[in-house]
Amino acid sequence: MRSHASVSEVKKHITRLNIVKPTGVLVKMYDVQEIRSDFPILKRVLPNGKPLVYFDNAATSQKPDAVIDAMTRYYKTYNSNAHRGAHTLADEATTALETARKAIASFFGANPSNLIYTSGTTEAINLVAYAWARRNLSEGDAVVLTEMEHHADIVPWQELSKEIGIELRFVPLDLKRMCLDMEAYKHALPDAKLVCVVHTSNVLGIRNPIEDIIALAKESGARTLIDAAQGASHERIDFKKLGADFLTLSAHKMAGPTGIGGLLATNEALSQCGPFLTGGQMIRSVSTDGSVYRDGAALLETGTPRIAEAIGWGAAIEWLSKIDFTQMHGHIKSLAIMAFEGMTKIDGITVYSDPTRPGSSGTISFLHERIDSNDLAMLLNEGGFALRTGQHCAQPLMDALGVASTNRISLWLYNTEEEIRSFLDHLRMVCDRFGA
Amino acid sequence: MGDRPWPEALDPVVAEFQDCFDSMERYELLFEYASNATNPLPQDKWNDANMIHGCQSRAHVECTLDSSGLFRMRGGADAQIVQGLMEITRIAVDGSSCEQVSSLTPEFAEAMGFNSALTPSRSNGFKNMLDRVVNEASRLMRGNENGQ
Repeated sequence: MRSHASVSEVKKHITRLNIVKPTGVLVKMYDVQEIRSDFPILKRVLPNGKPLVYFDNAATSQKPDAVIDAMTRYYKTYNSNAHRGAHTLADEATTALETARKAIASFFGANPSNLIYTSGTTEAINLVAYAWARRNLSEGDAVVLTEMEHHADIVPWQELSKEIGIELRFVPLDLKRMCLDMEAYKHALPDAKLVCVVHTSNVLGIRNPIEDIIALAKESGARTLIDAAQGASHERIDFKKLGADFLTLSAHKMAGPTGIGGLLATNEALSQCGPFLTGGQMIRSVSTDGSVYRDGAALLETGTPRIAEAIGWGAAIEWLSKIDFTQMHGHIKSLAIMAFEGMTKIDGITVYSDPTRPGSSGTISFLHERIDSNDLAMLLNEGGFALRTGQHCAQPLMDALGVASTNRISLWLYNTEEEIRSFLDHLRMVCDRFGA
Repeated sequence: MGDRPWPEALDPVVAEFQDCFDSMERYELLFEYASNATNPLPQDKWNDANMIHGCQSRAHVECTLDSSGLFRMRGGADAQIVQGLMEITRIAVDGSSCEQVSSLTPEFAEAMGFNSALTPSRSNGFKNMLDRVVNEASRLMRGNENGQ
């Protein structure tokens, strides 16, 4: 797929809509159909004959051909263990693994030496809890969390609290404004050693004021961990500019494969880490007298790397690099607002999101007052709509909202207005027939 | 059971579902079975002991023997789809002998058009509910044999 077209390309594809910036530079409009053509699964027809409408992107995104092909190519032509073998395939696998690391780090404005491959965001947060926090926090030290966190950013800290007695301070939600209570955050900060905040809520789609949160934490002397599992697929995040100490990433929510993610950590934070898992990549030398470990990010990668997955993630990053994220965000936001406005007009539906807020991700949680959320998901599935139901690994947030679960649609770059219209029509029909 | 793998009591139910025009009509009918359920298990009787695991929604089932030694079941669920399937299961087993209930299989759901329509997790939930009923029948039968 292409992003910025040349003049000749624009003339060749004259039927496509284009705009001319005042400077005279031609910029292609966001072409959702062209984007969709890169995703083979979006042509899928479900067993009931309905075309797939994929609205479960906060759980995992679909994968473009570029990712699928890159991983297939690795297994078909140069599958080998990286870093170890003295042969052509091993060299090629190592080069591909490290090229992917460079591409991913660069995409996030970071150096490759600051990126640790993990199995995903959950492992990345646990890695911080084990490799950094257990060495730098002690009894009575406070960690600030929020009610918006995914369980993956709560439970590791609860475990640490049980183990060494750290204090956990939860920043509540401002339910009226459907965002974090920043005044409460300021009150939670004094003497805190670490602040862990989700960049974008996987339930509400709300993008937190991360820059302010980090700035305030720095003023207070606390380190910061930003969970960007949801945010990274919706805006370009520059790790250096952001100024967080730790940034956790998930590949499969940004067009990459499952089974891989990453932890970006500053040099200073890395220098304070000790080993977590041991063996494999992190070893410099081993003797019967003891072992010597590698430094920095290398200390935190053990065993055989996730080579195919890293290559797939690298391919996803390369593919995403061609997307204009500002246009993409505008597209998703317009769809989310369209869905939000349509849903709020349906009798019995309560929406727990506000996609009009700046930076919102296109994730909308909702419930019907008379149709159970599991039933509603089933009935929407009958129309071909893939969406999520449950507590979304965010039970404290469910408690704050006063609900047991929600239905959730989460939109991404390939969703269309037609899909939203068709969803609203089906939702209206289901509510009329089953919610009376 | 004759030549079909479900109790005779389910024949009209299966036929009713097979007459439905499409899946949405089948679900409407299932919702009707749920809302017209005979003697569902009230929420205050839901507990850990009668909870069915592996079901996406909260579901509970209570199996007992009546004074004639016949099998009785009551089910309760948050979701109408699960409640409807419980009611149909109740129609299949209520008043049967434990031996009859212990040989019940899930083919009736498939014949009604629900097997492919149910998500794997919910389908497993239905299967878990049915397994629970069948296992309870076996347990109660053993209890009878032991004179308990």
